[in-house]
Amino acid sequence: MKKINPADVLIYVFFALIVIMFIGPIIWMISLSLKTKEEIFTYPPRFLPKVFALTNYIQVLLSSRIPLYLWNSVKITVISVLGNLLVVIPAVFAFSRMRFKFRDQWLFIILMFQMISPLITAIPLYRYFVTLGLLNSHTGLIVIYITTQIPFSVWLLKGFFDSIPKELDESAFIDGCKPYQILFSVILPLAVPGIAAALVFNIVNCWGQFIVPFIFINHTEKFPIAVGILQYLQSQTEGEVTTQLLAAASVIALLPAMLIIIILQKFIVEVLVAGAVKE
Amino acid sequence: MTQTKSYGRPLLWMSPMILMLILFYLYPLLDVVRLSFTNASTLTPEFRYTLNSYIKTFKDSNFLNTVYVSVIFVFMNIVVQIPLGLMIAVALNAGIHRKLRGTIFVRTVVLAAWMAPGVLVGIVWQMLLSSSQFGIVNYFLETIGIGRIEFLVQPDYALISIIVANIWRGTAFTMILQYAGLQRIPLGLYEAADIDGASAFQKFYYITIPQLVPILFINFVLITIYTFNTFDMVIVLTGGGPARATQVLTLSAYEQVFSFFSLGRGSAIAVILLAFNLVMAVAYYKLVLSQDDRK
Repeated sequence: MKKINPADVLIYVFFALIVIMFIGPIIWMISLSLKTKEEIFTYPPRFLPKVFALTNYIQVLLSSRIPLYLWNSVKITVISVLGNLLVVIPAVFAFSRMRFKFRDQWLFIILMFQMISPLITAIPLYRYFVTLGLLNSHTGLIVIYITTQIPFSVWLLKGFFDSIPKELDESAFIDGCKPYQILFSVILPLAVPGIAAALVFNIVNCWGQFIVPFIFINHTEKFPIAVGILQYLQSQTEGEVTTQLLAAASVIALLPAMLIIIILQKFIVEVLVAGAVKE
Repeated sequence: MTQTKSYGRPLLWMSPMILMLILFYLYPLLDVVRLSFTNASTLTPEFRYTLNSYIKTFKDSNFLNTVYVSVIFVFMNIVVQIPLGLMIAVALNAGIHRKLRGTIFVRTVVLAAWMAPGVLVGIVWQMLLSSSQFGIVNYFLETIGIGRIEFLVQPDYALISIIVANIWRGTAFTMILQYAGLQRIPLGLYEAADIDGASAFQKFYYITIPQLVPILFINFVLITIYTFNTFDMVIVLTGGGPARATQVLTLSAYEQVFSFFSLGRGSAIAVILLAFNLVMAVAYYKLVLSQDDRK
């Protein structure tokens, strides 16, 4: 029989505390989302609902605007992440393969934008968007999202592009390939994991975007889920929405990010660890 | 090296990205600086240039309070997130080396909190800290004899609430960064220490910590930036209240522009935030560069 190592026991105790601390809040929200209105307000609170009632979810999905908000978010997110790649991939190709003056400095300046709160640029952008008629439009959000994700995508993809040997380019040149053919037939196929990683992080990021739509969208039917759920929360004060419904709506909104992290956790950690070390 | 030329013009390849960055990043940044020197309002198109926005901002006791709240908020997040994140990283690293079951599960759980949208973090914590029957934290506090606390109603506790919620959300970042840092400490150092009969604590104190110092600095800078820029979670959890007890800088800039219609003063606060962001960004890259030199 294996002897129990006291150090292992200590680690497990610590793990247990961490798990309770980090997953406890989410479990509690899930638990609330499955309770009836009466059960929500019984004291002392029960950890598990008496019956796992899915009625709250059905009500949220059938008789609230949450599905519309989710659809808006899906639409905005998909277009933004694809648009972002379209803009970033050629630029990273240039950064990774071409030589030009002040290349590292340019890269540095682009990465600096990452550190700037979107609130700062949102203030003047609000004025332009009023003039351009882009207020309350998804197009306005999409162009901002494409731009705010540029620094992160550049940082991530440059690492992947750099790791593809330049000898492959050279033999392609000898075969008479044009630069764009090298990008499409040599680099992109080998950079698939990097592009997948950029997609994952950008999806999670766009899904959670809040400041920009909060400022630029006033028409409720245009809300993405992050702002829509706040609206849903605020309608609570008028007594239309109760906690169990808000909890159900929140679980639904949380689901995409959670699924991504659960399915892709190994990949995500690898990419982040590699990135952090690369620096 | 004739091949490098045949790739074509870099500027052409980069032009879509550069165009986007200029239109939606650089130009607004320059404009926010310009607006901060005006008395512009969102209600009227006319404005004139003045220093009044800054003068009023610095004389405003509400602004000074905002700075104070932001500093406490950021400071507490750093003080808790770095040691906690480091402890989790060390435990995960040990768990993986010892092939303990469940290690990956623990890592996923911490990451999940990090990936959650800020608005939802606010909602989750509002439910947990609620004074209603379903506020589970108050139930625990009552059970262990501390008694109920009106977290989101009392100013001091509201500030503690946003700090705790942000620690919950942000610790995964430190965990990942320090976990990455741990991977590059040469194992030989620990083996040598084992031969010398060093205890686990000695190894941690004399090998792990000194080896991690550069990453800890980078970590410190990044947490500071991210925490100062926090907006969504706070606006959902407390909305800056009660009595401005949780009014952080970003909320204050927002309030000036969109509640008081003062584009000038909102921009002035945004510029102060921007200056801070830039100083930290430069510090970050200096640290990263000095890292590269060491290698």
